[in-house]
Amino acid sequence: MWDALIITPFVNVMLFIYNLVGQNFGLAIILFTLLIRLITHPLMVKQIKGAKAMQELQKNEKWLKIQEKYKNDREKLAQEQMALYRELGINPFASCLPTLIQFPIIIGLYQSLIITLASTPIELLNLIRHIYPALLKVETLIPLNSQFLWMDLGLPERLVLPFLPVGIPVLAIVVTVTTYLQGKLMTPPSANPKDQSAMFSNMMNLYMPFLMGYLALTLASGLALYFVVSNLIGILQYAMLGQLNWKNILPKRAAEKPSKVGAKK
Amino acid sequence: MTRSPKIFLFVSLLLVALLLGGCSGVLASSSWPGVTVVDDVAYVAYANHVYALRTDNGSMLWRFPEKAEGQRLFFAAPAIADGHLVVGDYLAVLHSLDPQTGQEQWAFTGAQGRWIASPLVVDGRIYAPNADHNLYALDLQGKLIWKFQASKALWSQPVSDGKRIYQASMDHYLYALDPANGQKIWARDLGGAVVYSPVLSNAGIIYVSTLARNVLAIRAEDGSVVWQKAFENNFWSQPLLHGERLYLGDLGGKVYALSAQDGTVIWESNLGESLTGAPTWIDGQVVFTTESGKVIAFTEEGSQKWVVTLEGKIYNGPVIADDRLLVGIAQGKVLIQALTPAGQQAWAFEPPK
Repeated sequence: MWDALIITPFVNVMLFIYNLVGQNFGLAIILFTLLIRLITHPLMVKQIKGAKAMQELQKNEKWLKIQEKYKNDREKLAQEQMALYRELGINPFASCLPTLIQFPIIIGLYQSLIITLASTPIELLNLIRHIYPALLKVETLIPLNSQFLWMDLGLPERLVLPFLPVGIPVLAIVVTVTTYLQGKLMTPPSANPKDQSAMFSNMMNLYMPFLMGYLALTLASGLALYFVVSNLIGILQYAMLGQLNWKNILPKRAAEKPSKVGAKK
Repeated sequence: MTRSPKIFLFVSLLLVALLLGGCSGVLASSSWPGVTVVDDVAYVAYANHVYALRTDNGSMLWRFPEKAEGQRLFFAAPAIADGHLVVGDYLAVLHSLDPQTGQEQWAFTGAQGRWIASPLVVDGRIYAPNADHNLYALDLQGKLIWKFQASKALWSQPVSDGKRIYQASMDHYLYALDPANGQKIWARDLGGAVVYSPVLSNAGIIYVSTLARNVLAIRAEDGSVVWQKAFENNFWSQPLLHGERLYLGDLGGKVYALSAQDGTVIWESNLGESLTGAPTWIDGQVVFTTESGKVIAFTEEGSQKWVVTLEGKIYNGPVIADDRLLVGIAQGKVLIQALTPAGQQAWAFEPPK
């Protein structure tokens, strides 16, 4: 079911793009990721708006009052919260639902990429079985041209320079940096940086880039390319919606300066 | 930070790692066992080890390496000559082992890709195709003599008539090479990638099937096409040449007996299950294997004689040893199942942990 509805169509669209761009697998990965992110963009907008509404609600006076008033009566607190949601026209699930819909699509995209990056006999057999014969011809597609710039997209990437004894994992470094930037830029400012969710976000922003970097170092470089493109598109989407939190990556002093000046006055 | 969020963070990261890493597939199940039989010993390359087994009872003589080494995986059937068992791994190393003890004699590390195909040993020389697009010619001490570069990966074992080396490639070409220096004598576009080895007749005809759903007969002398025939499904198999007939199966589940003279279909049968590898001839019957684990024997006239279903997946045809069929099984508990020509189970080899 999952295979027929998500994976197989994704594999065929990706290979169709691959054919369109002159059998360049790197370009196909970039364009296919872009296409999927464009399709899911409206969901992402809803998710951001929902999350923002919930965040603003935390500062609402009525919200704070009912939190204080019913802190020992959970049932009543829930009733009052629901009443406030209705009054302000906020759907508490507005940010969750789009995420839930996007998640299988992103996983499907990732899995279809793995299938198309076939570099062993069983993987290639599996890829052949996913191809719609009415849309694509196995004889012209196989073997896929997995060469992109200096990389073989089916293998982990290293840039080998003649004057260095070991290859440089350029993509793994780029994945680490872009994951860090994405995490930092997309984390909304917290009213209380010491609360547990803010601390959790900070820890995730610290560890996730290394985890993604490690995966990029060991997995096929086609997947690492997808991680980079996905990170950059994510940042771009947030930038277009004016949601980037530059304060998280700017040096603290520079960010704090205006408020200090204001305090002197 | 309190303890529970830390645990939650750890679990979250672990889940992400499993999801992303796990989705990328397990390399150990990326191919199937390669089996070679010499005299009364079967050499089996599968996953982390190469095994030497007695063909009369399946007991293990040795395995190499003794301890599994991470991503060092063996799938290509070993080749043997003059006291050298030559086998390649997925870390681009070609090993020569002592066939008696399994001790490593030398290792060739000059290739860049995986050794997916079996090497061919002819006249004291090793011809080893690699996924890095090159066919490497080595002496029996592992010294490189020459290499020939195709434009795509080489996944099929070359064949030779003693005068030339014939190498089929994923780049859709069949190459005839001079064994002295690796110079190309001719190249023939086959219209599709060749995954399995061609077969060479005594009459100098090379029979080859391709992913472009065709079977071709090529004259070894000059590369001219004697005949070619289009079929319904892709082929991932090596034809079996027996007498005046070719036997082979396709990925759509059909098996065929063709005339070696002109490719005419003599009989066909639809098994409905994907077939890869080469069938085998034993006791007046042709034996096919299917991906879902079936071993099926047909008479020369195309009627089904017996079927055995084994646990696991079979991507390779059976190999004959001591008048028995040895079947290599992928992703199963048993690695090698020995069957009598009547399809009865003789012995089974389960790799030790």
